[in-house]
Amino acid sequence: MKLIKTSRRAFLSAGLVLPVVGASSRMGLANTAMGILRTSEESLDKTPGSPAKLEYRILGRTGLKVSAIGFGCGFTSDTSVIERAADAGINYFDTARAYLQGNSERMVGVGLAGKRKQIILSTKSLASDKQGALKDLDTSLRELKTDYVDIWYFHDKASPDKVTDGMLEAQQIAKQQGKTRFSGLSMHGNQQQMLPWMAKKGVFDVVMTGYNFSMDSSMDQAIEVAAKAGIGIVAMKVMAGGFRFLKPSDPIYSMLKRDGTSLAALKWVLRRPNIQTTVPGITDMDQLEENLKANSEPLSASEEKLLSAHLETIKPIYCRMCGKCEGACQKGLPVADVLRFLTYADGYKQFAHARESFQGLAAEHRAVRCGDCAECTVQCPHGVRVSDRMARAQELFA
Amino acid sequence: MKAVCLLLTVVFAIGSGRAQEFLNCHDVQGWEQTGTKRAYVPDNLYDYKDGGAEGYLAFGFVRMQGIDCKSGGDSLTIDISEMSDADSAYGMFTANRDPDKPIVKIGMGGHIQPHSALFAKGKYYVEIAEVAANTDSDHSTTMRAFATKIEERIEGRTTPPETLEWFAKENLTSASLVPESVLGMRLLKRGYVAKYKVGQAFIVLEASPESAAEVMKKLREKFTGSTPAQIGDEGFQVKDKYLGEICIFRKGRYVAGYANMPEAKEAAALAGQLAARIP
Repeated sequence: MKLIKTSRRAFLSAGLVLPVVGASSRMGLANTAMGILRTSEESLDKTPGSPAKLEYRILGRTGLKVSAIGFGCGFTSDTSVIERAADAGINYFDTARAYLQGNSERMVGVGLAGKRKQIILSTKSLASDKQGALKDLDTSLRELKTDYVDIWYFHDKASPDKVTDGMLEAQQIAKQQGKTRFSGLSMHGNQQQMLPWMAKKGVFDVVMTGYNFSMDSSMDQAIEVAAKAGIGIVAMKVMAGGFRFLKPSDPIYSMLKRDGTSLAALKWVLRRPNIQTTVPGITDMDQLEENLKANSEPLSASEEKLLSAHLETIKPIYCRMCGKCEGACQKGLPVADVLRFLTYADGYKQFAHARESFQGLAAEHRAVRCGDCAECTVQCPHGVRVSDRMARAQELFA
Repeated sequence: MKAVCLLLTVVFAIGSGRAQEFLNCHDVQGWEQTGTKRAYVPDNLYDYKDGGAEGYLAFGFVRMQGIDCKSGGDSLTIDISEMSDADSAYGMFTANRDPDKPIVKIGMGGHIQPHSALFAKGKYYVEIAEVAANTDSDHSTTMRAFATKIEERIEGRTTPPETLEWFAKENLTSASLVPESVLGMRLLKRGYVAKYKVGQAFIVLEASPESAAEVMKKLREKFTGSTPAQIGDEGFQVKDKYLGEICIFRKGRYVAGYANMPEAKEAAALAGQLAARIP
């Protein structure tokens, strides 16, 4: 037990995961947290060799009862994996018109043939106007071999101006025609702006958002706003995909890909407040079985340590935005701001937004090159290597 | 550090310069370039392709160059991806092609459709797509014209991977490269899969006969209750709830077989024929 407490302290002290929902521990189960209306647990030992207890949760205002572990079908290698998942009790399957030029939808259509009524199905459209969106939807329905999808997302819309009135009208038309039951929006970045915007807009039933243990507390705040507004919260990129700033060549990326670490990351997300389901991409049976364990096994002390270690590893590059560096730069650089811009690019893949933000700095700040200073006067109390990060920002955006 | 960054930039510029030569909106009369050319490597492909980047990476994506073209009210994007080898480029094409549409002879194979074109040649995978293609007009002539011009500039193999020739042609609906987990099993790392009106065949190339034998051993452990089959160097048959009647064999470095067959006898017969075609 001592080990667990030490591990939790270490993890929390990393500061990247400070709890924002009341006093609930970010590491622990949040059974009473807002937004999660767990209804029941069922034993679904239907797949030989993988006895799994799947948990089902209510997806916001939709009232849909979804398995906490869903199935991201983007790059599934064989239809048999999808069939097995459905038999194992996973009832939420997500694909997109754009995945493999429609071949993902085709595979899902085959894999879930005969199971349509027992599953909740979503797809997405990249279209940017009403006509294109509705045409995409018709194509999706044809490929998925179904009359309707439960949730229809606009795909990768990371700013309000990417969601036009025509697109919103398309969502309504699709609902009226019975082709969709609920409307959604997916995004990988800019959640801090988009989730409150969605909550205020009041026309979306579900959001699919990138979310994992590396993200800072502002993400939790944004998710809470959306959940309070009744929007169903679907977490994606819960594992390696969330480490945008960890490149495939990075050893940590490889570590996350190894057995065990990804499972720990999924377990962690499943235990977060307001997350109602997840859509980890599942390629094969091995991955499916591993993901099923995430629901039936607790997040162990060793797994907490594993995640904590990863956070420690990224500490040198991850700004906690504590503000203690303010005024410390001898050239007057607004260090926290520049680090934040870098997070837009590296963490949330908003490169254009990051560059634009950087270009908004005063000319004398944009002209600074940290490599010109013999010594950096900024010492981050959390261990961020400020001069290196500043130099990277200047290299990328200046 | 700066020197390394500079070196990487130079290396990338040299590599990408070659791909940029393929891109020219003026290839088709009346089309003009809009904006600047795009360039992506594995580290930032997510910025452009979102979650779809994973598909490219699975096929050994090296780099991409892209361009946007405009003609009157029409616009299109052209992206040329350099993959690790020609097999991977063809694999990328097969993963993205519509199996219901015929493969046309452009490079190793391609698709020309009213609003898009795809093809692979050498280690390059080319995508041409109309932007906001929501009209009923047919722009396949334009698609073909761009594809033909680009294909002329790309050097490299013009025939599909030889392995595909080993699959039976009768009742074949599609054949593709699965970059990982053939039949949904991680043990079968990467291989070709042929889908038929009934059932599917697969061919996985291992590094050596020994490693192939090790895969067979693990497969037998996975599928308890299998019975031996006299095919190739070794083989077995088993029935699975999801993969139907299966017959898997090893021939040298190859692990291959049939799955999703309704009858065990038929699976064994077809596997035997497949083994005979594998050199």
